[in-house]
Amino acid sequence: MVKVFPGTRALDGVDLQVRHGEIHALLGQNGAGKSTLIRAIAGADPPTSGSIFVDGGEVRIDTPQTARSYGVAVVHQHFNLAADLSVRENLFLGHDFPRRWNGLVDWRSLNDKAQALLDRLGLKIDPRANVGDLRPDELAMIAIARAIASDAKVIILDEPTAALLPDEVAVLFAHIRRLAAEGHAFLYVSHRLSEVFEIADRITVLRDGRRIGTWPLAETTRAAVIAAIVGSNRAEVDEMRPSEASRGAVVLSVTNATSEGVKNFTCTLRAGEVVGFAGLPGSGAEEAVAMIYGRQPLQSGVFELDGKARSFRSVRDAKAAGLALIPKDRHGEAMLSGLTVRENISLPILDKFVIDPVLRLLRTPRERRHAEQIASRLSIKTSGVDAPIDTLSGGNQQKVILGRWLGARSRIFLMMAPTAAVDIGAKAEIYHLIRKLAVDGAAILFTSPEVEEYRRVCNRVLVFHGGDVVGELTGEEATETRIMEIAAGSQYGYEH
Amino acid sequence: MVMNTDVQMRPQAHQIDIAGWFGRYGTILSLVLLLVVFSALEPRVFPTFANLVNVLEQISIQGTISAGLTICLIMGLYDLSIAAMVTLGGYLCPLLLTGTPLPVPLSIALTLLVAAAIGAINGAIVSYMGISAFIATLAMGSILTGSVLGISGSKSIVSGIPDSFMVIGQGDIAGIPVAVIIMLLVVLLFWVVSEHTQFGRTLCAIGSNAEASRLAGIATKRYPPAALSICAVCSALGGVIVSSTLGAGRPENIGDPYLLNAFASVFIGASTLRPGRFHILGTMVGVLLIGVIDNGLSILGVATFWQYIVQGLLLISSLFASGILKLRKG
Repeated sequence: MVKVFPGTRALDGVDLQVRHGEIHALLGQNGAGKSTLIRAIAGADPPTSGSIFVDGGEVRIDTPQTARSYGVAVVHQHFNLAADLSVRENLFLGHDFPRRWNGLVDWRSLNDKAQALLDRLGLKIDPRANVGDLRPDELAMIAIARAIASDAKVIILDEPTAALLPDEVAVLFAHIRRLAAEGHAFLYVSHRLSEVFEIADRITVLRDGRRIGTWPLAETTRAAVIAAIVGSNRAEVDEMRPSEASRGAVVLSVTNATSEGVKNFTCTLRAGEVVGFAGLPGSGAEEAVAMIYGRQPLQSGVFELDGKARSFRSVRDAKAAGLALIPKDRHGEAMLSGLTVRENISLPILDKFVIDPVLRLLRTPRERRHAEQIASRLSIKTSGVDAPIDTLSGGNQQKVILGRWLGARSRIFLMMAPTAAVDIGAKAEIYHLIRKLAVDGAAILFTSPEVEEYRRVCNRVLVFHGGDVVGELTGEEATETRIMEIAAGSQYGYEH
Repeated sequence: MVMNTDVQMRPQAHQIDIAGWFGRYGTILSLVLLLVVFSALEPRVFPTFANLVNVLEQISIQGTISAGLTICLIMGLYDLSIAAMVTLGGYLCPLLLTGTPLPVPLSIALTLLVAAAIGAINGAIVSYMGISAFIATLAMGSILTGSVLGISGSKSIVSGIPDSFMVIGQGDIAGIPVAVIIMLLVVLLFWVVSEHTQFGRTLCAIGSNAEASRLAGIATKRYPPAALSICAVCSALGGVIVSSTLGAGRPENIGDPYLLNAFASVFIGASTLRPGRFHILGTMVGVLLIGVIDNGLSILGVATFWQYIVQGLLLISSLFASGILKLRKG
C-alpha cells in the first residue's frame, strides 16, 4: 500500500513496500538509515528526491500533517504522550475536541468517543485515567490508538518494546496482530531480533543507507538477517587490544550487585585490561557502569577495591577511589559548554592548582601549562587552550573530556561510548589512548553503540541481557555477529 | 610546544564577526556614546568631577547588590529575595542600633550574619528540597517582607540612631564617598573570588553543566547555600547603606527598585566582553550604564517615568544581544 523511493544523503536509492495488513520489520544498525527513512515517510524530514505512493497513487508528503492526512502515523519509542493528561485527552490531542453550545469542551461526548475507540481495540482502560498511571504496554496501545483515531492506515512503530517487560510485549503483540488482521499495516523498527522473528511478516534490512534485502519471514533465518545487518565482507580492522602480558592484579570486583536495571551482576576487573560491556539498550550494560560509578544506589551486593570491601555511596566516593567516568552523553553530562578548553580539562583536578588553603586561589599559569600538555599529548586541535570548547569539532571535544581525567591519577576508567559521533581519525587516536592507559596499568571498562568496536579494543567482552551478563567472549571471539546473537537473547554463551 | 591552529571556520565568518564584536563591545560603546551625548547636551553640568563622583555615589548601593547577584547567576541561580533582603538589612541594622547596646560595627556584622543565614536557608531549600531557586527565593522574599512589617508594626525607626552610623552612607574619605569605597572593595573581592579561586571556577562549572560537574566529583549541593548567602549578605549590606543614607530604618519599599536593576545590570554584563557568561566586570559596566542613563536623564530634566521605560528597553535589548550570541555559539 505504501511504496517509497526517497533520496537523501543518508539514504541511497532505498525502496520499500508495505502491504495492507502486513507487519513489516525494518532492521539495521544505528546510522543504517532507518530513522531517516521513517522521518521521510512521516513527513518530518522530506526526502531530497524520490517518491511516495499510497494505494497506487503518488503523494507528496512534506509535513507531519500531510503524512497524517494520507493515513501515515508514527508511534515513537517514548510514545510522545502527555503524562499529566487523561487517556481521552491524549487520544484526541491535535484534533478539535467536541464543543458544547457555549464553546466549552463537551467532555461527555469526548469520553464517549474515547470509550468507543478503546472498545473497538479491545482495551480495558478507563478514558478518564491519567496516562501517567498506565503500564508501559498500555501506553504503547494508547499511542497506537491515537494513531488509529486519526485514521492511520500505516502505523510506524519505532522500538515500541524498548520499555516493556516480556509479558507486556506479548499483550502488545496480540493487539498488533489483531489490528493487522483488520487491514492496518505496521512498519516495525526494532533492534530485538527475537521479537522481530515472532511478529513480522516480512523483514527489510538497511545497511549504510542502502537496502540489503527484503524477505518473507519463512524464507530467511536469524543468522542470515544478522549477516545482512552486520555486513559479511566488512574489511578486517586493526586490532588495538593491549596484550595479555599487561594484565595485572584484580583492582575491582563486583559480586551479586543489584541496582536499577542490573540484577545479580558479578565481574572482576584487572589492571591492564580492557573489558567491554555490550548489550542492547536497556540490557543492563550501561546501567552496570552507572552503578559502578555510584550514580545509581546499590540495592545489594559487594564491591571490592584492591581486595578490600568498599562501597560507593556517591560519585564523589567513586572518584576518590580512583575511578573516572567518560559519560555517554557528551553535551549533557560531560562538556562545560561556554567554558574554555583549559577550564574543561582542569575540572576534576582543580585541587592540584590551589595555592592557599583559605581563599583557594588558583595557580593559573600552572593550570594553563597542564592543559597545554594534555592538548599536545592528545593532539587536540584548537586555536589555544583558552578557546571555548564549543569551537572544537566533536572528536576534539571528546579528547578534551578524556584528557580531563589524565591528570587525576585514576586507575579505573569507565568509558561509555567514547568514540560516539567522532570522526575516523579521532577514533583511532582514542583507541590508541585506551591501549596506552591499559598498558600503563589502568583498568578500562568500555561500551560502544558500534558493536564492531568491542573486538578492536577489548580483551574480554561481557554481554548483557535482561540486567545480567549472559555471555562472556574473549577479544578474538567478540565479533559483531557473536555479540549480537548473545545480546538478542539466544544463549550461545554461558548461563549463570 | 606546538599547538595546532586549525580552528573550525564557519560559513558566514565575516558577518558573525561583526555581531560578535558588538556582542563584546556594544555595551561599552553605548556607554561611551551616552557619555558623549550627555556631555554635549549639558557641557557645564554633566562632564564634571563632582558629577562623576555623584554618579558613582548613586550606583554604589546598586553595584554592591549586583555584585552579589552575579555570584548567584554565575552558577545559574536566580535570587528574587534581593528586594526583601535589602529592606531587611535596612531595618534590622537600625533596630539593633536603637534597641540593643551593641556598637555600630557589631550591629552591622550581626545584620550581615542574619542575612547570610537566611541565604544559606535559601540554598538549603534549593539543594536538599529540590525547589528551584526562582521559587524558593520568591517565597523567602515574601516571608522576609512579612516578618519585617510584623516586627516593625509598619513604623520607621527615625530617632536614636548614632551619628557614627551615618558615615557609611553620607561620609567620605578624601572626597570619595564611603559607599563607593565599599562597592569597590566588594567588587575587587568578588573579582578575585570569581576569577582566581577554586570556588569561583566551580561556580562557573556548575552554572555551565551541573551534571558534568557532579560526575567530575564536585559536591554540587554545597554550592547553592554558599552562593545565595553571598548574595544575601550583599543585599543586606546595600540595605544598611540605604538606612545610613536616609538616617532611618524603614520597613517598607526600600529594596524594590534594586531588584530589577540588579538583574538588568548582571544581564547587561553577560553581553559585555564575554558574551553569554556572567562576570563581575561586565556587571559593573551594566551598573554604570544604568547609572549614567539615570543621571543624564535627570540632569536633562526628563520626567522620571522615562527612566523606567528606558531601563526596561535596555534590559530587553541586552538580553536579546546575549541570547543571540549564545545561540550562535551553540
